[in-house]
Amino acid sequence: MEDFKIYEKTDGNIRILNIEGYLDAHTSVELEKAFERLISEKKYNILVNFRKLSYISSAGLGVFMAYIESIRNNGGDIRLCEMSDKIFNIFDMLGFPVLFEIEREQGSAITKFRSFLNKSES
Amino acid sequence: MKAEDKILISSSTKNLKSVRDFIEQKATQYGLEQSIVNQVVMSVDEACTNIIKYTHKYDDSESIEILLKKENKILKITITYRGNEFDPNTIEVPDMKTYLKQHKVGGLGIPLIKMFMNKIELKHYQPDLNELTLIKYT
Repeated sequence: MEDFKIYEKTDGNIRILNIEGYLDAHTSVELEKAFERLISEKKYNILVNFRKLSYISSAGLGVFMAYIESIRNNGGDIRLCEMSDKIFNIFDMLGFPVLFEIEREQGSAITKFRSFLNKSES
Repeated sequence: MKAEDKILISSSTKNLKSVRDFIEQKATQYGLEQSIVNQVVMSVDEACTNIIKYTHKYDDSESIEILLKKENKILKITITYRGNEFDPNTIEVPDMKTYLKQHKVGGLGIPLIKMFMNKIELKHYQPDLNELTLIKYT
């Protein structure tokens, strides 16, 4: 049965979370745990790759809202990339692109993330 | 053409996936376009999530029945469950700019249903039976 999985990868000072399956009221707690752990490890530069995510409900959206403030207060960011049109439409309809950087490709997301981090350091 | 299908689940978030699969399969069979199918699937998920979380407080001995009816160009999904009366029509869609600016969390389920569906009706029967109907003009 398709469920929800997170594959984590480190690229320099950026943590990439590849999320797979569906993010609903049942599975969103797994993503919460991942954010909690990254915060406890002081890893505040997080890129979430949605390529293999098939579905998101408001419970999933709520996880991003719940952690964005504390991550940004620590100088980091949660950035999002490679969403399907179906998932991007949900984010877009609710105006999330105003608050979150959403990139089509992971490569450009990393480049922009690095340039943001370099600027904040200088 | 008339069509009617029903699913009964115990009130647990672990059953949301089965509900979504059921709605997707039936709505597709009824000939709805994919973008409408997606909206209906999400609306039913959000409605059931609220019932499981707020009405049944994760008590999986409770149950939820979902009946789909398609007649001409109207799709009606009637969700029957026991519990307190709560009419989603009393919840307003928030101003999203303010919502995001204030980093609010939660409370987007009913607004999403309102954005996706044409009408929401609640019928409450004493002492504790509710029929929540989501209506979509296809």
